[in-house]
Amino acid sequence: MVDTTSKLSGWLAGGLLALLMAFTVMASTDQAFAHAALIKTDPADGAVLAQAPTRLSLTFSEPVSPLVLTLVKPDGTPLPLTSFRLTDQTIEIDNPQALKSGTHVLSWRVISADGHPVGGSLLFSIGAPSEPPAVPEAVDWPLREAIWIGKVLLYIGLFMGVGGAFALAWLSGEGRPGQRFVSAAVLCGLVAAPLSLGFQGLDALGAPLSHLAQPVIWRTGLGTSFGWTVLVALISLGLGLLSLAGPHRAAKPFALAGLAGVGAALAASGHAGAAEPQWLTRPLVFVHGAGIGFWAGALVPLGLALRRQTADAVVFLRRFSLAILPVVAVLATAGIVLAVIQVQTPSALVGTAYGRLLLVKLALLVFLFTLAAVNRWKLTASAEAGATEVQRRLTRSISVEMLLVLAIFGVAAGWRFTPPPRALAIAAAQPVSVHIHTLQAMADLTITPGHAGQVGASMIIMTGDFGPLDAKEVTLVLSKPDSGIEPLKRAATKPGDGSWRVDNLVIPVPGRWTVRIDILVSDFQIVKIEAPVDIRP
Amino acid sequence: MNKYLLAAAALLVLGTNVAFAHITLETQEAAVGSTYKAVLRVPHGCDGKATTAVRVQIPEGAIAVKPMPKPGWTLQTKKGKYEESYHLYGQAVSDGVKEVDWSGGNLPDEFYDEFVFRATLTADLPAGQKLYFPVVQECGDATDRWIEIPAAGQDEDALENPAPGIKLTPKK
Repeated sequence: MVDTTSKLSGWLAGGLLALLMAFTVMASTDQAFAHAALIKTDPADGAVLAQAPTRLSLTFSEPVSPLVLTLVKPDGTPLPLTSFRLTDQTIEIDNPQALKSGTHVLSWRVISADGHPVGGSLLFSIGAPSEPPAVPEAVDWPLREAIWIGKVLLYIGLFMGVGGAFALAWLSGEGRPGQRFVSAAVLCGLVAAPLSLGFQGLDALGAPLSHLAQPVIWRTGLGTSFGWTVLVALISLGLGLLSLAGPHRAAKPFALAGLAGVGAALAASGHAGAAEPQWLTRPLVFVHGAGIGFWAGALVPLGLALRRQTADAVVFLRRFSLAILPVVAVLATAGIVLAVIQVQTPSALVGTAYGRLLLVKLALLVFLFTLAAVNRWKLTASAEAGATEVQRRLTRSISVEMLLVLAIFGVAAGWRFTPPPRALAIAAAQPVSVHIHTLQAMADLTITPGHAGQVGASMIIMTGDFGPLDAKEVTLVLSKPDSGIEPLKRAATKPGDGSWRVDNLVIPVPGRWTVRIDILVSDFQIVKIEAPVDIRP
Repeated sequence: MNKYLLAAAALLVLGTNVAFAHITLETQEAAVGSTYKAVLRVPHGCDGKATTAVRVQIPEGAIAVKPMPKPGWTLQTKKGKYEESYHLYGQAVSDGVKEVDWSGGNLPDEFYDEFVFRATLTADLPAGQKLYFPVVQECGDATDRWIEIPAAGQDEDALENPAPGIKLTPKK
């Protein structure tokens, strides 16, 4: 009878594990990139229009879905924009009302594949610019704190709860030290996971904490890739609970499936899993997460076993210290590869908030590894031999390790708010485009990448009524009168695809430049058209 | 004090440079319905290179153009149809010289020269406005184009390469 139960639960756990994997694969099939960057808008930011536009459009560096679109009128009244269409990377928004003259703000909030919402606003004026209307403060600090705490608690639930259940099932032997703590951690995760989903929904819609009860908040949260993380985390926490409280024989398969769920939950969303190449990053995040669960989960049960001097403490310690080396090796390798993919250049370590958080995490890790190494090579052997004093020292050292691990969770949860340098680099590499239209001629100019430094410019020249214009010569002139830099003047060449190009152009400083295109229409006729263009740093 | 002197001197040098740099017409005013003797003043080459050709486009409304030959230069004209038909001494005129080219010459950068033609300014031309004669200056493989015409409301001094022009005065 006992055998049948254990077999049954073994199958059950196996099935759940398979389900988890299926979830992860499904979550990763929707093409995931990085933070979306706004490339082009119509009207352009800062444009002054003669008449109200019938349509507004926003083009991003990757497909996005809009969460909130609001038009703030010159008198400050917000107008929700609900009629829009998505074509590839462009959102076309119908303008619902005849707009009066003055400066309007189009406030947008969209979500991309990494599950992190991004927002911004675009100013345009009708007739003449007026004092821009006030747009509400962008950062909602109470919500940020709630998201951060929710994340840390979820980490505790997954790593110390489910990871702890794994340690109890596979390593600890009969005593099951720290079972109460592990159960509490799992419960903590079970509370934090759904709450985090609500917070994600609030963040996605830019709504304050007080709106947490609204169904739309939860639907939105579930619709983001973080929804997958929460679902998989809940299954994983449930498996951990089953392993702790279910039939004894089934504890091991449940715990194993739970630990796999920890990795899967982390891989389902977030910067690291969303990075390219996906075939590499998602498995690495999976391995990294499961490894943390193995290590962090074992700490409390092991510490308690050694303190209480339980019968199986020495066996527990031996099994743990045997397994921890390969686990940490894999964990660290995965972490390093992911960090390299995210940070890209050493200068980004200090230059970006993401990099600085990584440095703090690395500093904490150095401490942690030192402690762990001392434990492993100095103390473990004597402790295994039964030296009581050494076992006590080992217990103390493990408590410190615990605190360090908690601090690392806190730092890692902070990454939720910092786009990785990889995403920043993708955003910076986006071209800037400007469309110049006059009666005599028009031009579409694209500067790639759209930041200061070495760039290339490509121009399509047409007549004012969209007809072909076979120019004799085209010259690009970039000037920035406020910088004291002489205008940069370059003759364009014809690569033969109908465009005009200027290569090896160096834009020395970022900011608002005036771009002028001199088009020699015929021997005696030249048309000069110009427009401002914003060059990013 | 020195600073001011330096600034004033710099302004003077820059200012004169700009004024000298352009190809201009000696007589800056002419009455519509009169014959105008255009003297194109070429003060320098293209960025230090010797001038080898001067080509001038005749604007609509300037008819019966006769350029003056220059020793050492090949004189050519390009003829074509006018946009409108004009009356000259009781006869209808609908085509004539549209471009005058002096080419094959050599005017070093450090020398000055003038290129002359005569044109009849028809009475239909709008008095009070400006009439422009765009000029292309060739110096071997380099070219300076004095062809920019200010748009309505645009300051002529702001142009980099303004076309030489004259102010049209009422018919006498």
